[in-house]
Amino acid sequence: MSAATAEAIPPSGIEPASATGSLRHYWHLTLELAISQFKLRYTQSILGYVWSLLKPAMYFGITYVIFVDLFHVNDGTPHYGIQILLGIVVWTFFSECTATAMGAVAGSAGLIRKAYFPRSILVVAASFTSLFTFVINLSLVIVIGAAIGQISLGVQSLAAIPLLIELYVLALGIAFFLASLHVQFHDVGHLWEVFTNLLFYGSGVMFSLTYVLQRAHFAAVVTTSSIPAHALPAKFTWVVDIVAANPIMQVIEDLRHALVTPVAPWTFSVVTGHLAAVGQVHPLNASWDALAPYALVMVIFGAGALTYRARSRYFAQNL
Amino acid sequence: MSTDHAIHVENLYKRFRIPLDRSSTLKHRVTHPRAASRFRILEALRDVSFDVPEGQFIGIIGHNGSGKSTLLKVLAHIYQPDGGRVSIKGNISPFLELGVGFNPELTARENVFLSGAILGLGRAELRRRFDDVIGFAELEQFVDHKLKNFSTGMEVRLAFALAIQAHAEILMMDEVLAVGDAAFQQKCFDTFKRYKREGRTIVFVTHDLGTVNRYCDRAILLDQGRLVADGAPTEITATYRGSIGVSAGDSRKVGEQIERWGTREVLIGGVRLLGETGVEDLHPLTGSHVRVEIAYEIKNMAIADFLCVLWIVRNDGTLVSEESLPVTQYGNAGLASQSGAGVIRYDLARLPLRKGGYRVNVELRERRGQSAYDHIDRAVLFRVVDTQPGQGLISPGGTWSVVPRDSAVAGFSDIAVRSGTGSGDAGT
Repeated sequence: MSAATAEAIPPSGIEPASATGSLRHYWHLTLELAISQFKLRYTQSILGYVWSLLKPAMYFGITYVIFVDLFHVNDGTPHYGIQILLGIVVWTFFSECTATAMGAVAGSAGLIRKAYFPRSILVVAASFTSLFTFVINLSLVIVIGAAIGQISLGVQSLAAIPLLIELYVLALGIAFFLASLHVQFHDVGHLWEVFTNLLFYGSGVMFSLTYVLQRAHFAAVVTTSSIPAHALPAKFTWVVDIVAANPIMQVIEDLRHALVTPVAPWTFSVVTGHLAAVGQVHPLNASWDALAPYALVMVIFGAGALTYRARSRYFAQNL
Repeated sequence: MSTDHAIHVENLYKRFRIPLDRSSTLKHRVTHPRAASRFRILEALRDVSFDVPEGQFIGIIGHNGSGKSTLLKVLAHIYQPDGGRVSIKGNISPFLELGVGFNPELTARENVFLSGAILGLGRAELRRRFDDVIGFAELEQFVDHKLKNFSTGMEVRLAFALAIQAHAEILMMDEVLAVGDAAFQQKCFDTFKRYKREGRTIVFVTHDLGTVNRYCDRAILLDQGRLVADGAPTEITATYRGSIGVSAGDSRKVGEQIERWGTREVLIGGVRLLGETGVEDLHPLTGSHVRVEIAYEIKNMAIADFLCVLWIVRNDGTLVSEESLPVTQYGNAGLASQSGAGVIRYDLARLPLRKGGYRVNVELRERRGQSAYDHIDRAVLFRVVDTQPGQGLISPGGTWSVVPRDSAVAGFSDIAVRSGTGSGDAGT
């Protein structure tokens, strides 16, 4: 080794060039890990992979009966059933992806202590496992929806691609963050479980943002002729702000517009007040509010990836 | 600094913070805000520097907790150094042990592909080599069985067959030989030799000093995180032995029982097996020179002579040999002085044993009588490594040759015919 190359070595640490393998190898490893985890998830069950289809279907049944049949949650847009199904499929991916990827590091303790590879592979592979299921479920929803004529595909449907990427980036960012904390603090697992429960109600899985705004609006303008029995009290309008900033809500909302029915508005137009044209007043007027979900996704992913990067160097000794 | 160093380690430090109470919950952090300071710093590696040239086979030895495995993990990028620098030239095998990444719920086939991916082998390459791997592991009939139904031996064979497929120029191994039976260890040794021929750099952590002596070009000794000795394997292992005060009798492996009885009027001070280099070696090669040394001490000065009996027993209980030597205080050359202590040597110029596990039992008994002064069963347990092909209990060391027909003894054909007919009559 010449003096020149010696200087290039960071004062403390390992020469970056010495890392084993190439990107192609790591991609291959990620896929192998994801495939085997996928297989493992459904071993020892009679129905096997069918469960990944059955579970969202069952959730859908429960949600539909409770929210639509029992509580008459409906914003008046067509194909409300398939809209809820779409929400359930997206939500299932998000909650499953974050939960399994969070445990991916702690669950691979043996591998981390005995073998070297970039640690982010573990989280990415776990997220891929959920992604497989998601892609299949989503395709099924589209195929079934199209078959019964409840899906309207058009130019707006192309928006689904960036929306799905946004969803994946969000889930991955959260997974990175949770996984890096989970190694030392298993509390994160319990906290996240409770938090996802809360988030479920704040993500518009079984209602649309329009529906929430309708409640808020009616609560604010008391003179309206048809006052629903369960209007949102004025003191809770801040809830609307939070819900509108929620990227999952935005993704589900926009996917409904892109895939199910153009009658369901884009989240952006809902929030920036285009609904005012319909003669409705709502508490969200600033364009900034409309940008909040996208900004949040980027901030969460950045924070998650950086946290993971910093902490993953010490996984082997902290596990 | 020359350019052919595969590994360069300079002033390496590694510390671990050992929390004094092993609580890792947020509640603990919140309710004990100062608890972060309640830990002990363990200096696992202190100022370690060394270079490994390309193609060298280096052994790292030391007590438990001396930092051997930590050093290996820092070299393999698994741990982050806290100070100093490590630079590695070439690909490192990402495995430290066998069977990393194996999942008991997956089949042998699925495990090969998963574990192979960690090793850095591509899918196409794995598919191409799959039959070789399974063949080497002798698991053709179990390819689609789940790993959890495999015996330990089967699993280790599969792991080993896969591990040797790695392309890495630098191999790191942590106590690889701690597992597996004689046949498996034999395969390991054969692979080591191949790696050496291929000029790969090997870093090897072990407790087995015999292996270090036989295979390593160099050894380093760690003690409490410091590199205390670096040099030829025989010197370093001797230093290590000195530092832990290994008496000859301690060469048994931990956990293996010995049985001992006798009047203790003459005491066996220790028994050890020495290899070709004159250093203790529990993995002698077939055909190599080995020596058993028995240290004795006469406690009852009224005893002027005794008989030393030495048995070599194969692990399945087969008695391979029983030999004895009468020892007289005054008669035997080179024997002890007035102190009544000495060392008895039993030399085998050419170890005839085939590969496998053997034990040495030793007894010092009355010269004329049956009363044992001191008897030790399993005084030494050793494993013979056999590199030659062949079967049977012993390797008699015969030599083969082929000569022209002319120089054969007359009448040779008659014998051939006779034995060929198998009649056995001597009529002709």
